[in-house]
Amino acid sequence: MFLTNKHLNRRTILRGVGAALALPVLDAMAPALLRGSAAAPNVRLGFVYVPNGIIASGWTPTGEGAGFAFNSTMKALEPFRDQTMVLSGLAQINGRSFGDGGGDHARAGASWLTGVHPKKTEGADLRAGVSADQVAARQLAGQTQFASLEIGVEAPSLAGGCDSGYSCAYTNTVSWRSPTTPNPMEVSPRVLFERLFGEGDSTDAASRMQSFQEQRSILDFVSGAVTRLESKIGSGDRRKLGEYLEAIRDVERRIQKAEEQNATMTMPAMERPASAPEDFVSHARLMLDLMVIAYQADLTRVASFMLAREGSNRSYREIGISDGHHNCTHHQGDPEKIARTIAINTHHVDQFAYLVNKLRSTPDGDGTLLDHSMLLYGSSLSDGNQHTHVDLPVALVGGGCGKLKSGRHVKYPSETPMTNLLLAMLDKAGVRTEKLGDSTGELEHLSDL
Amino acid sequence: MTVRQYYATRAGCVVVLFLVIAASGKAQTSQPVDSFQAQVKQYCATCHNDRLRTAGVSFDGLNLSKVGDNSALLERVLRKVKTGQMPPAGMPRPDAKRTADFGNWLEAALDADAAARPNPGHPGVHRLNRAEYGNAIRDIFALDVEAGSQLPVDDSGYGFDNIGDVLSVSPALLDRYLSVGRKVARLAVGDPGMKPVEEVFEPRHELNRGVAPAVPARAEWMSEDLPFNSAGGLSVDYYFPVDAEYVIRIRTGVANSPTNPKAVEVRLPMKAGPHTVGVTFPKESLKLESTAPPDRQAAGFVSSMRPEASSAGMDLRVDGVRVKRFAPETDATRPPPLLDVGILGPYNATGKGDTPSREKIFVCHPASKAEEPGCARKILAGLSRRAYRRPVTDSDIEPLIELYQSAREKGDFEYGIEKAIQAMLVSPDFLFRVEADPAAGASRNGVHRISDVELASRLSFFLWSSIPDDTLLALAEKSKLSDPTVLAQQVNRMLDDPKSSEFVSNFAGQWLQIRNLPTVRPDPVVFADFDESLRYSMQRETELFFESILRENHSVLDLLTANYTFLNERLAVHYGVPNIYGSQFRRVVLTDPNRDGLMGQSSILTVTSPPNRTSVVQRGKWILDNLLGEPPAPPPPNVPSLDATTKGARKLTLREAMELHRANPACAGCHRNMDPLGFALENYNGIGEWRSKDDDSAIDASGKLPDGTKFDGPGGLTEVLATARRDQFVSTVTSKVLTYGLGRGVEYYDMPAIRAIMRKTESNQYRLRDLILAVVTSEPFQMRRSAD
Repeated sequence: MFLTNKHLNRRTILRGVGAALALPVLDAMAPALLRGSAAAPNVRLGFVYVPNGIIASGWTPTGEGAGFAFNSTMKALEPFRDQTMVLSGLAQINGRSFGDGGGDHARAGASWLTGVHPKKTEGADLRAGVSADQVAARQLAGQTQFASLEIGVEAPSLAGGCDSGYSCAYTNTVSWRSPTTPNPMEVSPRVLFERLFGEGDSTDAASRMQSFQEQRSILDFVSGAVTRLESKIGSGDRRKLGEYLEAIRDVERRIQKAEEQNATMTMPAMERPASAPEDFVSHARLMLDLMVIAYQADLTRVASFMLAREGSNRSYREIGISDGHHNCTHHQGDPEKIARTIAINTHHVDQFAYLVNKLRSTPDGDGTLLDHSMLLYGSSLSDGNQHTHVDLPVALVGGGCGKLKSGRHVKYPSETPMTNLLLAMLDKAGVRTEKLGDSTGELEHLSDL
Repeated sequence: MTVRQYYATRAGCVVVLFLVIAASGKAQTSQPVDSFQAQVKQYCATCHNDRLRTAGVSFDGLNLSKVGDNSALLERVLRKVKTGQMPPAGMPRPDAKRTADFGNWLEAALDADAAARPNPGHPGVHRLNRAEYGNAIRDIFALDVEAGSQLPVDDSGYGFDNIGDVLSVSPALLDRYLSVGRKVARLAVGDPGMKPVEEVFEPRHELNRGVAPAVPARAEWMSEDLPFNSAGGLSVDYYFPVDAEYVIRIRTGVANSPTNPKAVEVRLPMKAGPHTVGVTFPKESLKLESTAPPDRQAAGFVSSMRPEASSAGMDLRVDGVRVKRFAPETDATRPPPLLDVGILGPYNATGKGDTPSREKIFVCHPASKAEEPGCARKILAGLSRRAYRRPVTDSDIEPLIELYQSAREKGDFEYGIEKAIQAMLVSPDFLFRVEADPAAGASRNGVHRISDVELASRLSFFLWSSIPDDTLLALAEKSKLSDPTVLAQQVNRMLDDPKSSEFVSNFAGQWLQIRNLPTVRPDPVVFADFDESLRYSMQRETELFFESILRENHSVLDLLTANYTFLNERLAVHYGVPNIYGSQFRRVVLTDPNRDGLMGQSSILTVTSPPNRTSVVQRGKWILDNLLGEPPAPPPPNVPSLDATTKGARKLTLREAMELHRANPACAGCHRNMDPLGFALENYNGIGEWRSKDDDSAIDASGKLPDGTKFDGPGGLTEVLATARRDQFVSTVTSKVLTYGLGRGVEYYDMPAIRAIMRKTESNQYRLRDLILAVVTSEPFQMRRSAD
């Protein structure tokens, strides 16, 4: 019998000791170089996902157009009403089974930003489509250090399957770098922080520069090693190494950008986060804070954010609900469970409203970050009880650099592809793409009445 | 299958082999094939034809004399026939003998075809998962810092997180590799110039208390690294990076409370390397625990778990030795809650120290600058051989030497080595498991035996979740590992090695889903007894139990039926087992048959329960998924509501509600399989305590499977699983072990190998180690299909 003390649930926190570990975050007074110029501020794209659908009776506003009234679930967005658009009638038809049987949660997660019907597999030949955030990331790469960020609050499950017959990759992420490469969601605030700002024991520009050079030489070495390895294996096996090479290029671009911006980086005032807080609200807000800082410092212009994994059965005890979220959504008409689900839906929107508020209180160029953002909020199911992929709950929040006519509830014909909205968002952010999944053209009426 | 049937099958196999060969030769069809063909037409094709395509299956045009052309479909047929699921109840079916004859014939025919045309599958390039990464670091550098925990959690497929096709690569991951590689290289070499940091360790939280601000003081013995007569506190293994002074800061009290936490500090000189730091509250006496009334109903017992013990103060211990005792507060009636323990340092570093890591890395010490290049080469060649898990050549070493040299120009010799190590840890040769295709012509039908060196890696990642050790690699390099005797010896050696506890936590932890225990959150109102100690004990019980089956080489059937388990006081109270005292786990022979085997263990009963109740569906599904290998289809999305949950004034019992549910044909298909299994476990509540009533209704734990098999309670269920469903259970275990061992999903073409493994291990009652060895010697493990 071998006993290890691995089971000790130890939580490690790294704390800065003295000034030596002050953090290289941008100063609240962002240097001019990094600030979007007043003439053409940069649009920040955000895709905020909640799982298991949102109950329509709590979500859907009453009335249409500018005269709409928020329903209970979205109350927290009331202060941002003039920069909020609620879009009804959109659908992700490719989340339907099409003969693949069960697995609506997996298909929901995988189709949300791709509009593609994912291949049903537990692992072999994983396949969905490139997601909208990654289309943007690819085109905007090179303008910022990070082409995109993928942030989550709930870590992948540690054992067991996710949705029947589907690999957990389909429910763990909504971001797909290529049709075969899902992007993992980072759930650790400390890891995300260190990724954005470095590890903290070298804060002056000169030593940062040295660390960039060191990383470069390592990446050169790794590229060489990949090439040597590729020559030894069959062409069919090279895909994974190809992914690795692409990751290397991406990190090289980041280093180059970081080097350019190095001289203007200054010390700011966010403490390096500890390990993930145990309670949902603190954890979610910490991750949202980091997302805002990344936008503010123009470290990225594209972020996807999952408040929970698709199919999540998390229990939100802080609002008095000990039953799991997924369990609640399969309410089978039970009014108590419906009420609990609505409470969870509202709880999620509250966290989103925290983000929106934070963006609004952060100056950016001639306005605020919110003015220059386009945030999609929603779920890829409407009714979680019946797994419906139409009439999805969708809100578009932020000024979009003046390219949106917000403060409205717009109804579209049923089964209008949600990918049309994604296409329109990309276009307004200056990202040109012809087609995304099942899109049929850019969604109309986002900037007119 | 009895032994006699087994021989009958084997005999049949030989005959059929002959027939298949004869049949495939010319159009000369043989008698049995014709009759089975007719049997399929008569009993199967009425639904499964081109017109109806029930379940997407048609037997029109199926030619049973060429089973190999349809093996994917026929493996499904075989499974459905052997488990009695097809033809379905209520439809005309052939008599038992004809059904059995057909099953045996088909099995033998499929096996014969596979023997003639083996398809061992093609595992692609396989990234190390986080457990493997961390263990590899530990084994290369003698540096047990759980480096993998700093990497993102891996996606899983087929129920495991070591599936090659699912382990993807992203820029975010590469960023982490760069960062963790840097930290590891620095720690392993040691760097006295390191700036001081503080690492804070917190005791296990009462997660179950939700958002309650105060963490109750734990009055239990918390760790096997602390003295028996201690309570509360924590013990951590900490890696001190260099010889230096470190400050240990202990905070007690409640965070964010009006009375601020109190902090005490001790500054200690420490030698570099791993040390155990413990903080604990020694008890004045053991009286409370040892005199506790064993009767769990007695009110006094509960308080013995949380005594209002007067404390002798607080001890700081390093490597098991007390270095400081802090006097108790005068008014303290119980130990103050420990908030956290911080380790700050290094200060006034005196040297890199003599750590196991440095010993492992610096196999030579250059006496002059002229000796440096040779020594660097020697060091890097040795390390890269371990890290890359194969013999290395100049083309591997030269690029590392270049990195060493350019760093040497900026720092000293050891700095150069550190930078080369840092790069090695981001090399694809380290991070990816790659198997090469042989030169054209070296394989037969695109299938070849993997090299000894590749076999060494498959073995070590399977049994240790880590890289091969020197013994294994040396044998492989001499091409001795594939020798069957040597291989068997090595498998046994590896299973005897403590590193095989990784197989327990990674394989069994995921197969049985007990790795999810740390995240379950039972409702504190419904299950007030649930606490962190119980959570830990549950998981430990099942791990120790599985480990005992593995180490003692018991039958996998004992997983279901063994009349012993491992208990400590906390769990014994939970189970109502008397006379078990203290936190130490020990082997206990059970007198209550209801706790026999896995189905009586609260770990499994808890992970299959929602937070506030039991779920016969979840438990039934767990059994179907993990023990019987028959995952039920998911519920149809549009589940009609349960209109009537009350009958008159009375609330329906769970069973009545489920029966109502099953009245719906859309639900019945799966629930008639799932629910009876789950109902057999209804005497266990949502955290695995025994109960005879649920909401005042007496529990009825009887059940009947669609094939008519009846059972009652956990004992009855276990018996069915271990006897009537024995083959199905063993086949499922084998298939799970194979999935985990290969890091890929098990496909139809693996079924002959699974059957061969079962035949090989049957005569010795399917002992677990035999089964593992049979997996290791199976075709899918030993061979590989080249990329198409």
